[in-house]
Amino acid sequence: MAADSTALGADIEPLTGSYEASQRSARLRAAGRWLWSAGLLVILGFLVVYPVSMLLLGALTNTNPVVDGFATFNLSLENFVTVLANPNVHLALINSLIACGGGTALAVVIGLGFSWIVVRTNTPCKGFIAAVSLVPLFVPPLVAAVAWSILASPKSGLLNTLLAGLGIDWRFDVYSMPGMIVIFGVYYAPYVYMFTASALRNMDPALEEAAEISGATALSTLLTVTFPLIAPAIISGMLLSFIVMLGIYGIPAVLGTPGDIPVLTTYIFKLTAWSPPLYSTAAAVAVILMTVTGFLVWLQHRVVSARSYITVAGKAFRPAVMNLGRWRYFTLGLAIVYLVIVVVLPTLALIVAAFRKFLFIRTMASLFDARQYSLIHFERLFDNPLALRSIVNTIEVGLITAVIGGILSFAIGYTIHRTRLSGRKSIDVISTLPVAIPGLVIGVAYLWAWIGLPGGLYGTIWILALAFVARFMPDTIKALSTSLLQIHRELEEAAWICGTRMLGTIRMIVLPLARPGVIAAMTLLFVLAIRELGSSLFLYTSETMVMAVLLLDYYEGGNVGITAAFSLVQTILLGVLIGFAHVLSRGGTDTGVGKAG
Amino acid sequence: MSAELKVEHLRKVFSVGRPAIDDVSFRATAGEIVVLLGPSGCGKTTTLRCVAGLETPTSGEIAIGREAVSVPARGVLVPPRLRNIGMVFQSYAVWPHMTVRQNVTYPLRQRRVPRAEAGRKVDEVLALVGLSEYAERPVVSLSGGQMQRVALARSLVYQPQLLLLDEPLSNLDAKLRLRLRDDLRRIIKQTGVTALYVTHDQSEAVVLGDRIGVMRDGKLLQIAPPNEIYNRPADMFVANFTGASNALPGRLLARNGEFGTVETGGGNRLTAWLPPGVAAGSEVNVALRPENIRLGVQAAAEPNHFTARVTGQRYQGTQTIYELATLGGRLEALELGTNVRYPVGSDVEILLPPELCWAYSAQEAAPME
Repeated sequence: MAADSTALGADIEPLTGSYEASQRSARLRAAGRWLWSAGLLVILGFLVVYPVSMLLLGALTNTNPVVDGFATFNLSLENFVTVLANPNVHLALINSLIACGGGTALAVVIGLGFSWIVVRTNTPCKGFIAAVSLVPLFVPPLVAAVAWSILASPKSGLLNTLLAGLGIDWRFDVYSMPGMIVIFGVYYAPYVYMFTASALRNMDPALEEAAEISGATALSTLLTVTFPLIAPAIISGMLLSFIVMLGIYGIPAVLGTPGDIPVLTTYIFKLTAWSPPLYSTAAAVAVILMTVTGFLVWLQHRVVSARSYITVAGKAFRPAVMNLGRWRYFTLGLAIVYLVIVVVLPTLALIVAAFRKFLFIRTMASLFDARQYSLIHFERLFDNPLALRSIVNTIEVGLITAVIGGILSFAIGYTIHRTRLSGRKSIDVISTLPVAIPGLVIGVAYLWAWIGLPGGLYGTIWILALAFVARFMPDTIKALSTSLLQIHRELEEAAWICGTRMLGTIRMIVLPLARPGVIAAMTLLFVLAIRELGSSLFLYTSETMVMAVLLLDYYEGGNVGITAAFSLVQTILLGVLIGFAHVLSRGGTDTGVGKAG
Repeated sequence: MSAELKVEHLRKVFSVGRPAIDDVSFRATAGEIVVLLGPSGCGKTTTLRCVAGLETPTSGEIAIGREAVSVPARGVLVPPRLRNIGMVFQSYAVWPHMTVRQNVTYPLRQRRVPRAEAGRKVDEVLALVGLSEYAERPVVSLSGGQMQRVALARSLVYQPQLLLLDEPLSNLDAKLRLRLRDDLRRIIKQTGVTALYVTHDQSEAVVLGDRIGVMRDGKLLQIAPPNEIYNRPADMFVANFTGASNALPGRLLARNGEFGTVETGGGNRLTAWLPPGVAAGSEVNVALRPENIRLGVQAAAEPNHFTARVTGQRYQGTQTIYELATLGGRLEALELGTNVRYPVGSDVEILLPPELCWAYSAQEAAPME
């Protein structure tokens, strides 16, 4: 043994120090750990707790911070009670619930239908259908709404022109409650699909076979066994899509405003657009919206964390596939119709509107008349310095959001999942809070938090970026945690044993292994930041105009051609980014060494 | 009530590869337990699923009682729910969103049995499987063994004419498996139902089956009562799969009725039982179970009496396995008892009972990989 140790360790200094030195460094490290937790908590307080508190305060006062300053802060419940009794608020709340409820119901039908088609039938091109079912996730809601208003506005919609050309008397009207419900349902079906498809996939087919053997018919098996078993997944997808719809501004702004159908989000914005702006009323309505969302998020959390029936055996199943016979072409047809509704028609509409000098189309023949097409809308778009500035601003905000959000989320994710620092529970809770805060409410909260402070953030692009970081923090941390948890703890422990310190371990072991995940999370942030409309609405100034807001401006200004052209620009930008992210995440799976022990 | 099961010339071909079931025929008389035994991928589960109606055979015929349920040639395919069968799955397949009672009542509800009668039947069958006290529990709160008892109760409560069991014990831990194995046979026999049982575990097959069918590569090699499978295996694979791990190569010198003389390495002559069709002069492999080698027998007059050199031993507490060099080859012999009687390097006299030495033609496929 002695010979061995000299042979191996002759020139290597052991990593020891004197007792006093190690005591001193232990005290230092304890202080460092405390500072780290405290630092994260301060940052989170600044990003989340302070704005939300200001929002709550704002709801409880009837003074205007811009006009009156914070000196005359009149705290009372009066304002809040007045808002609760306001019939306009009731109308907006009821409209929100109807639109989101109807949209959710449709989303469940579509999402559940497609997950059954993809997982349980022998429909051809199932991979294609699975991909199509997720496509709407990538479509910005504002762009989708703009495209559908071009297609199906009651007077000049392209589809209505087509119907008139065919001599059919019936007309589409997307500026209506049913119109809004259909657009909601169609574009938010993927949330239901994601949950139910994986639940169906993970269900032991023997559970259904047992019912069949017991004498149950196919329908009875579906009702008494299959649906009850995936009920948690259905409910949870349902609640999630409802929550997302509730917080969306773009779709109701585009489709609800012409038909005068206010919902909570559009009503809140309208309050701040009045002169003088009713900031405290807006804050109060925002608190109502936040409460409803918070309750639903809590409900969804309960459903998800309740004992899941699905992973009983925890192994991979080959789901029983139903032979649909000739009907399988019908199910394939449904998928194609869906693709046409969510992607093909809107894209065509945007292209036609963007390149056509005048959108008014009298006959089908004129649709294919090349003389009617030109680049005039793009020229006019880029002649406007505001448009260029908004693109630059958007990319700048996106980059800041991605970098700050990515780093912060990595720090938080690592602290929550891989350390035993005191305070990590609070860090976890606070960083998850924004899940229950719709983007628009974040916007109002940040407005309240910074508008009154002189020389502050308000009016810079930083306030937008910080609001985005706060808003998307839960999603980013979740995405990052997945890749962090895949790195086996022993890989880190091996590095510690080898004498590397904690920070060195993170730098040399964790970061390289988690890199694909971190890059993917940053790209996700970038994409989300570019699309974000709700929170930008309250935080932009003419200097810090972003694309989504300007797009809405163009739409509301009634210039369909430029709106369509700008939508195309944004879509192409997003498409490039998503493609880039896809390539990056592919590279990630290739370097999967040492993951998932 | 319990019915005869008849499977004739059953074939099942999936889209690729060799047939999963290749011309399998057997019968289970009313009240009999037939076990299909074989390694994974041998077609035993596919056969069972064809009988259940969960899989469509390519050709052949399956009849339960007097009714033909699967005859692809005539387009007959009775759906599982109309076959009046019970089935127990490897993964239990108890419905996790129901209580024990709801699970067991389910088939009766589908059959529109009046509530009072259903309650009585459920109580009866729960008592039979020993779960009376658990009736109102949610099924997910039970252990694996108890869940499988629920599954058994659920498949017996409507008194099906045939019970199918698909490796019902293989998800349980060893101790539970032994207990439930013994209980299963008692319960099945008590209800008198005909049963078809699929397993890869020979000890399960022996305890449970009235007859055992050994399958390999989609073919049914032999179907016979357990002691016949163990004492007269039809071929090298059956012998090997049921535990005859020794194989001595040799040449058949002469045949004398059911027995013959085999010349093995070193010029020794061995008397062995011969299955039909092995001709004198052909190369053979003599299969022999380690338990059937008798050690330290001083009876030179008996046939098949030899001397062996102990080259290794593995002490296993209640038994010892000796590695022996003899007859120009190697044998493993197992002796029960906690004593180790023969040290490595010593010579020991061995007796190989002729009726327990089986010589199979060497042209036959080699023993299991």
